[in-house]
Amino acid sequence: MPRSLNVFDSFDRFSVGKKVREDTWDYVTIPKNALAMKEKYDISFGPEVIPEDDDLSDRLFKAGLEMLAISGFYNPNLGKALSVTEDEILAGVENAPRKVKLGRGRERVSCKPRRGNSRRKPIIQGGPTGAPVSEGIFPQMMESYAQERVVDTLVSGVLNTVSGRPSTTNTPWEIQATLAEIKYVREACDRAGRRGMGI
Amino acid sequence: MTNAGHRITDAHECSQLNELKIDMTGLNMLSGWTTNGDTIMVEQMPIFGGYTGGLEETAISDVATTLASFALFSGNFHLDGPIHIRWNVTTAKETLQVAAHAAAAIDANTDLLLANQYYPAGGPCTEMCLLETANQAITDTGSGRELLSGSAAAKGVVKDKTTGMEARIMGEAAIAAAGMKVSELNGIILKLLSKYESGFVKPPEGKTFQECYDVKTVKPTAEYLAVYDGAVQVLRDAGLPIKH
Repeated sequence: MPRSLNVFDSFDRFSVGKKVREDTWDYVTIPKNALAMKEKYDISFGPEVIPEDDDLSDRLFKAGLEMLAISGFYNPNLGKALSVTEDEILAGVENAPRKVKLGRGRERVSCKPRRGNSRRKPIIQGGPTGAPVSEGIFPQMMESYAQERVVDTLVSGVLNTVSGRPSTTNTPWEIQATLAEIKYVREACDRAGRRGMGI
Repeated sequence: MTNAGHRITDAHECSQLNELKIDMTGLNMLSGWTTNGDTIMVEQMPIFGGYTGGLEETAISDVATTLASFALFSGNFHLDGPIHIRWNVTTAKETLQVAAHAAAAIDANTDLLLANQYYPAGGPCTEMCLLETANQAITDTGSGRELLSGSAAAKGVVKDKTTGMEARIMGEAAIAAAGMKVSELNGIILKLLSKYESGFVKPPEGKTFQECYDVKTVKPTAEYLAVYDGAVQVLRDAGLPIKH
């Protein structure tokens, strides 16, 4: 099996990749390849939301794997698509971490494979998930998540302003706001008596 | 500013673009985190009804982009979030189906760590918001996901319309669903969909955090606790043994 790629290898692959127009990628490459994989692997969902057909799940996995291998991946800044083989993708899957530890001390949780609907509950990451939040109530809102016993780790909201200034994307205030978010989230953990929660 | 910046035990988040795309900003952030040995969560929210088109095509793309997070971008775990192009939610039947089929397919064939994120239509302090959130938690848990991240009530776009109560029902529903038969969960999911799907046309706006909690004590209002109890009763009536 070939070695797996890292982000630097991926950039190098993009650099020598095939030139493609972005609208061609969006409106031709992606829909054409997805439809071809649907037909090749006979993927058709029934009325159930969670699949109960193991063979369908296996065919869907193969379809997704081949979709990535035949399409590659697109970088709109470079206007190029990288190439990757199925063996390289599987090598990356094989080398991926099987466990992630989030948080510290007594708030540390371990995220590891559940395998089907295990009796072990998933990790619960509570928070506004990127929704906009006023500066004046940011710590209190995050505390409302940290104090919930079912919540294991936190996901931040987006500060609407920082020091009263809009946290506009691609400006220094965006960076200031991001760092302020982290400070406020840590404050919220302290206030909830859960210092060390992963964020 | 003390305690600014991430620790090694926190996770950084980088987004792919729709569909099967990533820009230089993403690659450059990933390169720094990879070199530091940081924990990396790579996000991608496939659009049902977007470039890929239909249900199955979107799920195929979802599997492909999930695999890319690990095989191309050195991710430690993948944050999914299939989104409905018309309703802008993750809780519609089609987006739940895409997420569940993609998760089950990857779960059956790998040990990859899979997460999903929550964008219900209803705002806080509404039964619809809580039922949507619980239904996705049942779906994600039943399809083998390892981490649930939410919830961005009111589609995640209205200022201050998110609270800890939505995370409470997400967690409690997951705890109740863990270990149940998938066939049982499918029955519950369809019952719950019938309770809220018609609300996507004009979802209840709900209330802000300041209206849902005493901001000084950070305690939820009696009104929200009553709405929560009502939603829990609906879940129990549907067959989910959620803690009351």
